[in-house]
Amino acid sequence: MSDERQPLLKVTDLEVTFGKGAHAVSAVAGVSFDVYEGETLGLVGESGCGKSTTGKALMKIVTPSSGTVELDGIDVTHQRGRALRRARTRMQMIFQDPISSLNPRRRVRDIVAEPLDAWKSVKGAERHQLVTDLLNQVGIDPEVYGDRYARQFSGGQCQRISIARALAMRPKLLICDEVVSALDVSVQAQILNLLEDLKDDYGLTLLFIAHDLAVVKNISDRVAVMYLGRICEIGPSDVLYEAPAHPYTKFLLGAALEADPDSAVAGAALEGEPPSPLNPPSGCRFRTRCPYATERCAVEEPELTEVAPGHQVACHFPFVAQ
Amino acid sequence: MSDRLLEVRDLRTTFRTVAGAVQAVGGVSFDLGANETLGIVGESGSGKTVLARTIMGLQPRTNVEVTGSVLLNGHEVVGASERAMRALWATEVAMVFQDPMTSLNPVMRIGKQIDETLRVRLGMDRHAARARAIELLTMVGIPSAESRYRAYPTEFSGGMRQRVVIAAALACSPKLLIADEPTTGLDVTIQAQILNLLDSLKQQLAMSVILITHDLGVVATRASRIIVMYAGRIVEMGDTRDVFYHHRMPYTRALLQSSPKVSNAPHTRLAVIPGRPPNLATAQVGCAFAPRCAYATEQCHTERPVLVEAAAPGHRFACWNPLPEVAEALR
Repeated sequence: MSDERQPLLKVTDLEVTFGKGAHAVSAVAGVSFDVYEGETLGLVGESGCGKSTTGKALMKIVTPSSGTVELDGIDVTHQRGRALRRARTRMQMIFQDPISSLNPRRRVRDIVAEPLDAWKSVKGAERHQLVTDLLNQVGIDPEVYGDRYARQFSGGQCQRISIARALAMRPKLLICDEVVSALDVSVQAQILNLLEDLKDDYGLTLLFIAHDLAVVKNISDRVAVMYLGRICEIGPSDVLYEAPAHPYTKFLLGAALEADPDSAVAGAALEGEPPSPLNPPSGCRFRTRCPYATERCAVEEPELTEVAPGHQVACHFPFVAQ
Repeated sequence: MSDRLLEVRDLRTTFRTVAGAVQAVGGVSFDLGANETLGIVGESGSGKTVLARTIMGLQPRTNVEVTGSVLLNGHEVVGASERAMRALWATEVAMVFQDPMTSLNPVMRIGKQIDETLRVRLGMDRHAARARAIELLTMVGIPSAESRYRAYPTEFSGGMRQRVVIAAALACSPKLLIADEPTTGLDVTIQAQILNLLDSLKQQLAMSVILITHDLGVVATRASRIIVMYAGRIVEMGDTRDVFYHHRMPYTRALLQSSPKVSNAPHTRLAVIPGRPPNLATAQVGCAFAPRCAYATEQCHTERPVLVEAAAPGHRFACWNPLPEVAEALR
């Protein structure tokens, strides 16, 4: 089904390398995926797997060392100056720490209006009305809170204000980088529901980057799993969670803790820790921790291959129902 | 009962601040048996960490008022001098904090940080302490402990640092280990490793564990009993299964329902608790949860509910309008 739709975002062989020579760290090592209009793609992985760097590379907050990023059929990878700024109005990013994302000494209205002011798109009464609408949308009462300073708000409220600011230019794509991981569960639920509502109201497409598997499943139509700079599995969320094909996905899901005493206690926990991206293993990057690894895994790097419609896995020996 | 390791009675911790007195822990009572794992769950600001630090006797002497009683293996902690507490730390009770980097001295080799406890508290000589430290590092799963003994904390990953902190906490075989958010900030696969480690060490060393967390998933399969805290008080406590499946307090239910589950279908609408936890600096009348509670009545706003017994032994809740008692599990 997804094949007929045009991808809103097309990422091809994206690579991000920090440093040079012997100290080069390839944080993102050849990542390709599509995000279709109106869907939510979840990007999960452990710290250091490159998921946040991928998000930042899409916005060109960090410069990709190779590969292309196409938004709506336009290659934004090599855009600079005004063209890049224009492209960024169509994709916006929200970050993990809501408090440090906002200038504590500015008023809420001015923070939300900042993108509008930067583009001088609206002024006066129109600007006032637009900001009022945005704040109402995210559940911040503009009459009561509009003129307060950002430092007077809690984490959940700051995240709402960040979302309002990101929506000001009516972007098509919203990149959410761990936007709920600093929040309490009750506030987290409020923000997740808000994102679902806004997605409908604004016709948004979401790239939702997070480490929490339950949160990602809850919001995503499709999920991509990253390990050490590569995507190891991508597929529809229910399929991927019920029948993971990559051993890493399986271990990751096994380690997820369910708030239910009767939930099966995870089987064998994954041993060891991810290797340093300074010196990634040859062949399959997961092989050093994979109990199923063979000699072939050390020699040949597995490519993403389709195991079912829309479900791709990068493993020589995937778990696939025969 | 002689197997009670910890008896907390009407414990109150009040901070004197410029904004007035803030009662972070407001009358908490519970017991902990030997070789038991107790989970304390609550959102930020619920007082769970202050409770742990008060039990440890770690509250500063100035601008903090602690009343009530904490009997730790027969020793009174409330009002004890720092000198008296030093005799209890490490041998009776030890604590593991959330951030392993701030618990370790960054310019001291990790071996020395474990040695220190052994030499000061148990009077071991240098060689015996070194041998024991290496044994402890091996026990908590540090590979090639002999060579890592001389490493600095920055040379370790977050998960490995937390293992080192656990090794240091267990150096003098405490009877009670308080772990305050020990896996928050760690990756899921590392979190599973640390929780498994704590479980096996608890068995091996026959100690009791208090596991403090905001994540219901962490305690669901690890704790035998659970305390749910809200605004500095216990709102529900009982055996893990009773709290998860037969809870009576609406806050417990709201907390459970607002956390996303891996078993839910995508785009499941999450139950939302409106509003935010109360400001503890303003005096509270009635139930602290009442302003956010869908079942609140007039009484809830004026009169504070006390903990009452539920059907199952040891299961208590504080609510004027509890959820109905059900034979079948609430899910």
